Amino acid sequence: MDCQIDATLKGLKKLAKLLLCGTELVTNIQVAADIREIHRRVEEGEIRRQRLEKLENEVKSSQDKFDEITMKWEEGKRKRIPQDLWDMLNTQQVHCAGLIEDKNKLISELQQELKTKDDQYVKDLKKQSDDICLLLERMEEQVRNVMKTFRQELNSIEKAFEAERRELLTSNKKKWERALQAHNAKELEYLLSRIKKVEDYEKQLNKQRVWDCEEYNTIKIKLEQDVQILEQQLQQMKATYQLNQEKLEYNFQVLKKRDEESVVIKSQQKRKISRLHDILNNLRSKYTRQIRQFEEENQSLTSDYIRLVTQFKELQKAMRHFALLDDKRFREIWLMNEEEAKDLISKAFDVDRIIHTQHLGLPWTAPDFWFLRNVGPISQQQQRSATQILEEVLIQTEEEGMEEATSETESYLDLPKQVSMKTTRKILMLLCDESGFLIESKLLNLLRPLEKSECYLLKLDAIFSALGIESEDDLYKLVNFFLKYRVHHSPSSQERTSPMSALDPGEQTDLERQKEGSLVGGEPEEKEVPPSPTLIHPNDVLKILEAFVMGLRKPRDPPAPVKVVKYVRDTSKDSAYWEALATVLPYATQNLWDALYTALEKYHLVLTQRAKLLIENNSLEKQNTELQMLLQQYLDSKINSELHVPPTQVLRAPTK
Amino acid sequence: MQSMQATLGTPTSSALSRFSTSTQDKSSTAGQTSSTGPQPSRPSIIPPPSKSKGWGTGASGGRMRRIIAEDPEWSLAIVPLLTELCIQHIVENFQNNPILKQLLPEHKQKVLDHLSPDLPLAVTANLIDDESYWRRCCTQRWPVCHVAKHGGSWKRMFFERHLENLLRHFIPSTTDPALILELLPLCRNYVRRLRVDQFLPPMKLPPRPRSGELSESGSEAEVEEPATDHYQLGDLVAGLSHLEELDLVYGVKDCGMNFEWNLFLFTYRDCHSLAATIKACHTLKIFRLTRSKVDDDKARVLIRSLLDHPALEELDLSHNLVGDRGARAAAKLLSHSRLRVLNLANNQVRALGAQSLAHALAHNTNLISLNLRLNCIEDEGGQALAHALQTNRCLTTLHLGGNELSEPTATLLSQVLAVNTTLTSINLSCNHIGLDGGKQLLEGMSDNRTLLEFDLRLSDVAQESEYLIGQALCANREAARQRAPNPSCFLSPITAKGPENPAG
Repeated sequence: MDCQIDATLKGLKKLAKLLLCGTELVTNIQVAADIREIHRRVEEGEIRRQRLEKLENEVKSSQDKFDEITMKWEEGKRKRIPQDLWDMLNTQQVHCAGLIEDKNKLISELQQELKTKDDQYVKDLKKQSDDICLLLERMEEQVRNVMKTFRQELNSIEKAFEAERRELLTSNKKKWERALQAHNAKELEYLLSRIKKVEDYEKQLNKQRVWDCEEYNTIKIKLEQDVQILEQQLQQMKATYQLNQEKLEYNFQVLKKRDEESVVIKSQQKRKISRLHDILNNLRSKYTRQIRQFEEENQSLTSDYIRLVTQFKELQKAMRHFALLDDKRFREIWLMNEEEAKDLISKAFDVDRIIHTQHLGLPWTAPDFWFLRNVGPISQQQQRSATQILEEVLIQTEEEGMEEATSETESYLDLPKQVSMKTTRKILMLLCDESGFLIESKLLNLLRPLEKSECYLLKLDAIFSALGIESEDDLYKLVNFFLKYRVHHSPSSQERTSPMSALDPGEQTDLERQKEGSLVGGEPEEKEVPPSPTLIHPNDVLKILEAFVMGLRKPRDPPAPVKVVKYVRDTSKDSAYWEALATVLPYATQNLWDALYTALEKYHLVLTQRAKLLIENNSLEKQNTELQMLLQQYLDSKINSELHVPPTQVLRAPTK
Repeated sequence: MQSMQATLGTPTSSALSRFSTSTQDKSSTAGQTSSTGPQPSRPSIIPPPSKSKGWGTGASGGRMRRIIAEDPEWSLAIVPLLTELCIQHIVENFQNNPILKQLLPEHKQKVLDHLSPDLPLAVTANLIDDESYWRRCCTQRWPVCHVAKHGGSWKRMFFERHLENLLRHFIPSTTDPALILELLPLCRNYVRRLRVDQFLPPMKLPPRPRSGELSESGSEAEVEEPATDHYQLGDLVAGLSHLEELDLVYGVKDCGMNFEWNLFLFTYRDCHSLAATIKACHTLKIFRLTRSKVDDDKARVLIRSLLDHPALEELDLSHNLVGDRGARAAAKLLSHSRLRVLNLANNQVRALGAQSLAHALAHNTNLISLNLRLNCIEDEGGQALAHALQTNRCLTTLHLGGNELSEPTATLLSQVLAVNTTLTSINLSCNHIGLDGGKQLLEGMSDNRTLLEFDLRLSDVAQESEYLIGQALCANREAARQRAPNPSCFLSPITAKGPENPAG
């Protein structure tokens, strides 16, 4: 193979060289023509240069000659003598002829050159055609050569390939034969072994056949027996089958019937279902309609309710307003009446005193009654304060809660006297601090930014609402409960409390009254004012509260009747009071007064008679004086003098 | 009758049914003969097309048998198939009624095989795309057809050569220009290359005598300019939407001994119209204008119109009279286009022109091939080009043959050879490199691994160094061959040189 490639490479190289040489041979002609052309150009340039020089020289000389001739013409014009002119003309002619000859010569020379050039051209053409012929020849030759060599090369390559192929063929054939022989030998071996094996197998087969026959017989017998048993079974099965079939048929019939029935039922049920559906739909629609209706009704009722509530509230407000007004008026009237009564009483006392001192000459002592000392608005207020404060506190709890805890000045009026302001306050603070669990966390969050006092107020409000303390009474109950509890559980503190109780004796009475209504603690002895709420341990507060709440559950119902009783007793007191007022003077004095009256009337009668008589006497005296005066007048008049008989004389005379 | 035919058509497989049909056949033939009467002659068998569709191929067997029964002399071989007859008819009347697109593929092929190559182009040009037809046209018209030069398309070749032929024989003011313009709509989609190697001048009725002895210079001929304009390519080129290559020679070919200078006049008006034409043709890739006496001014006019041309890749102005100014214009074109090949062979470029070209070349990244054969750039120009090659990284082919170069250029080039890795081919033939220059070039070659061709023929180099350079080139070629294991690279130098040979 390698030598093959080498050969082809060599051939290729040879071919390339041949091609190169051939092209060089062909292009040689072109190169030769080129160099010829260059030489020609050089020569041509030289010749042209000479020619131009020559022409220039010629032009110069001829110009000189021409100038000479023209000069002579000028000369000739001046000549007068004809012979001279003739001579001159002749010489001119000669000169001109010479000039022309020169030119002609030049022209002929150039023409000669041209002719040679023409010849040259023809020669060149010939040369060119020769060159072309040569070129063609060479090209053809080259083509021929190249073709020849290519063919040779091809042949050689083909031969080489052929040889190689043959070689390959022979070697392959040999290989093939060898392989075939080996194969044949092996085949023979295989055949022999196979024959042997076949014989073995035949023997085995025979054995097997015998054994199989025996086995077959035994199996056959067994199988026949089996078949018999199976046939019996088959018969049985058939019988059962028959039976089953009949049963099934019967069942089938039954089922068919049932099916029909069920179909009928189904249709009925369907119809029923549809009917029920209709009813259901109707009911649904009715239901929705009613719902709508009721909703509307509900709405109208709620609106009514709201309206009524507002009205009720307004009414309550008005009622409160009127109650206040009534109170006020009642108080005014009360005061007015009382004043009037007092006036009357004082008048009566005055009269009594006067009677006693002046008329009877007895020492008079002013009667000392409680109602007299209580006379005035204070005693009235004390009596009414419980209800009033209750009402006020009610209003306050409704509107803004317990104000008394925060504003001391304001609450001082409302607070019952039985507990001092400080103690209540402290108790409440304690309560507030200890029972924070009763307050909602939301509220705590809201309370954080508020002031301390407001904080306490709101907290207490929440705690009271949680504990169920609604009225001021409850509050007082709570406070008292605290106090009592403390007293119960710390008897050591009792000694300290006794001096404190002396400080506010007014409170005790009120406390007493308060406790009569309360069912919680029935011990009127415990009227001690708490020394200080700090003595109550904060840990006890919860216990106290628990006990208080347990106690408060019971008295939840009866507060209303208590209130009513209180009110009735008040009115009875009023009437007693008024009656007492009316009977401020005892019956003895009245009787005295009556006797005195009658005596005095008699005395009066005497006195009046005397007075009448006195008046008569006086009037008679008056008449007497008047009459005297009149008599005097008459006596003093002039007429009397003029008269012949003076009356005076007469009178005197008679009188005399 | 109709029902019978229907029953004839339907039964197919079983033998029984076939037997029954055969009996029916006999009866039906009898019926048909009686009904059709006197028309059993052979040509009448061609059925009208409506009938033939209904019958199809299944029924034809039955009919054949029937006919054989009637006419024992008739055989299937004599009567051509209907389709063939139709095809024949179509072929015969193709000129008047060209039917091709509607046919089935096999029928189309048959029609194309039988069409005459002489059909008018107006019929065939836009209708027939089949290569085999156009191959017949070409081979009939021209004995030598080199289809590879026309992109392997016979149709393109036919139209290109046809158009070239018309242009070659167009005589202004006597030939009707409509002749060419008529062809334009037919060939506009197929012509990609236009290679006209002669343009005839207008006819002059009186053969004028030579106006002067010194009439070889072109300047005198320009006096009689208006009369010697050639065919204006403008309209034609504007119509050819796929034109990519334009190869023109404003001259007369094969004039032989009838040589006259004014046969080879490329007038200024020709030049301007050509410039406008190539400027308008945006698809143009290759433009060649050789052997047309293009001097500096004309070259500048042409090159100015080519500046910033979107597609131009090759410019060939060889065998003209372009001088230094033209070379400078070409240098400007190098930096204002994507030119890949520039050929200025056999012109009059001297050192100045070569310097400007070198300047443009120094930073150019498009140009692959530069040909300055048979100019006269001498050592100055050669040195400038060598300097430019030290920075250039694109040029692969450089031809400086016949430029009067000598040793200094060779020393510089040897330095370039040591540095440059893109050049693959240099031609310094027909110069005066000298012995020392040859040695220096050999030194340069010893470091080079890319150069594949280095022509030093007839340049006074010692044979020894030339041989050694040849060895180095062989080694390079071998290396290149191994780099690219494609064996076709052997032939590439030959094919590359191929088009150059006829030019020389």
